[in-house]
Amino acid sequence: MSTAMPAQISLADVDVSFGSKTVLSGLNFEVFKGEVISIVGASGCGKTTSLRLLAGLLAPSGGSVSFEGKPVRGPRRETAIVFQDYGKALLPWRTAEGNVSLALEVMGVPGPERRSRISELLALTGLAGHHDKYPAQMSGGMQQRLQIARALAQDPAVLLMDEPFGALDAMTRQSLQDELLDLSARTGVTIYFVTHDLEEAIYLSDRIIGLLPNPGRIGRIFDVPLPRPRDQLITKEDRSFLALRHELYDFVKGSEH
Amino acid sequence: MIRFTQIASFALSLLVALALIGLWHFVASARLVPPIFLPLPEKTFDALVTGMQNGVLLDASLATLRRMFFGWFLACLAGISLGALVGSSQKLRIYVAPMLETLRPLPASSLIPLFIAVIGLSEGMILGVIAFGALWPLLLATTHGIVSVEPLLIEVAQALAMPKHKVLWKISLPSAMPDILAAMRLSLTVSLILAVVCEMLTGSEGLGQWLLATSRAFASTKMFAGIVVLGLMGYASSLIMNLVEARALKWKSAAN
Repeated sequence: MSTAMPAQISLADVDVSFGSKTVLSGLNFEVFKGEVISIVGASGCGKTTSLRLLAGLLAPSGGSVSFEGKPVRGPRRETAIVFQDYGKALLPWRTAEGNVSLALEVMGVPGPERRSRISELLALTGLAGHHDKYPAQMSGGMQQRLQIARALAQDPAVLLMDEPFGALDAMTRQSLQDELLDLSARTGVTIYFVTHDLEEAIYLSDRIIGLLPNPGRIGRIFDVPLPRPRDQLITKEDRSFLALRHELYDFVKGSEH
Repeated sequence: MIRFTQIASFALSLLVALALIGLWHFVASARLVPPIFLPLPEKTFDALVTGMQNGVLLDASLATLRRMFFGWFLACLAGISLGALVGSSQKLRIYVAPMLETLRPLPASSLIPLFIAVIGLSEGMILGVIAFGALWPLLLATTHGIVSVEPLLIEVAQALAMPKHKVLWKISLPSAMPDILAAMRLSLTVSLILAVVCEMLTGSEGLGQWLLATSRAFASTKMFAGIVVLGLMGYASSLIMNLVEARALKWKSAAN
């Protein structure tokens, strides 16, 4: 990413503490429009907390978070969240259509327009024809697609994803990864992706933030030099993929000591 | 397959009911209990038909039905809105919980004299007693349902920057719906009981008064006819609640 471009989201000297416990300390980074940026690190180093900061669900104890130059004061339409626990993040009493509709209702989109937007979004996430299904009638992969559709209904500039594919089986995870890359290429939405799966982080990202624990802080920011479009086999056999995987592995392992 | 088991279980339940009526017939015709206390089922049925045809029992039944329904309706309105209020505010819960816990165990029937004194012997008084007695299950269930909403759903709402009243309307209340419906069923029974008790105490036209008057006159066939009507009302209301639940909670059965 060129540094001349203005940042979409920037964090300046951000600290987060709960009581006397410092969870994140001295966070400084920028997220640029349209990039896919992953955040990795040992468990408990504040990955999810960083996402909540960006979402405006959590206010920093020190420093500032800004979106397009203005301080973030709370959740906003431009940032949508996809939670890991899709089973609990969907409304079980609403159909697929109803779940997507929730976001549109909040935004005040009128009824007739809502219907066509819902069809568009369900088609975009590979759920065409499943309008009337309840979440409980869908597989895990479909439920997570539905959550992504609902997030996209906000027409967000940034998708904040909290280990979204962590609970899915390997095959489903790979297809969702590819669909996500396709989505980012087609819509230009910025993606902030929390994961503990290093290969996933490399496969998806332009850059990877490596967090160190106790307190959570940035250890290193890795550039991913792999070309796009990416491919589950070819990309993962690339020399620089393997080298980066090695580096990241050492980084996370090393941080646990 | 499902149809078959449904028909089979309906046939079985009918059989049980018929067997009970048979037993009743046997006990009554063998005069194990004097007929002045236990009439024959067929005589009870005759009294039921006569009472409905000449309109006396029919009017009494409709009066009770009306009280049960309106009292219950008031209880639903009050119970669900109070429950929503108390469930949404932790502060309010702390302030009003002890008072609610003191009021709740009071039998509603024990407050009838107070209600009569304050409101007077009127239809409104009866509805007030029914509503007061029947609102507790609703208040508690709604409060509980709203307090125990999945926290992640609240976070989803926050992320969407949903205003508070929309969170209540679109997330908390629908999520509390199974609890609320179960309480509505319970309240309906309480409403029927209180309607009958109030009629007995105030002498207003209704099945309560009918039961009291017929038993004092040793008109046991008429009294039993009244009891049968009450039983049927209870059964019908439970069937209606089944339908409402099946519709409102379609998403629950959809999973299987």
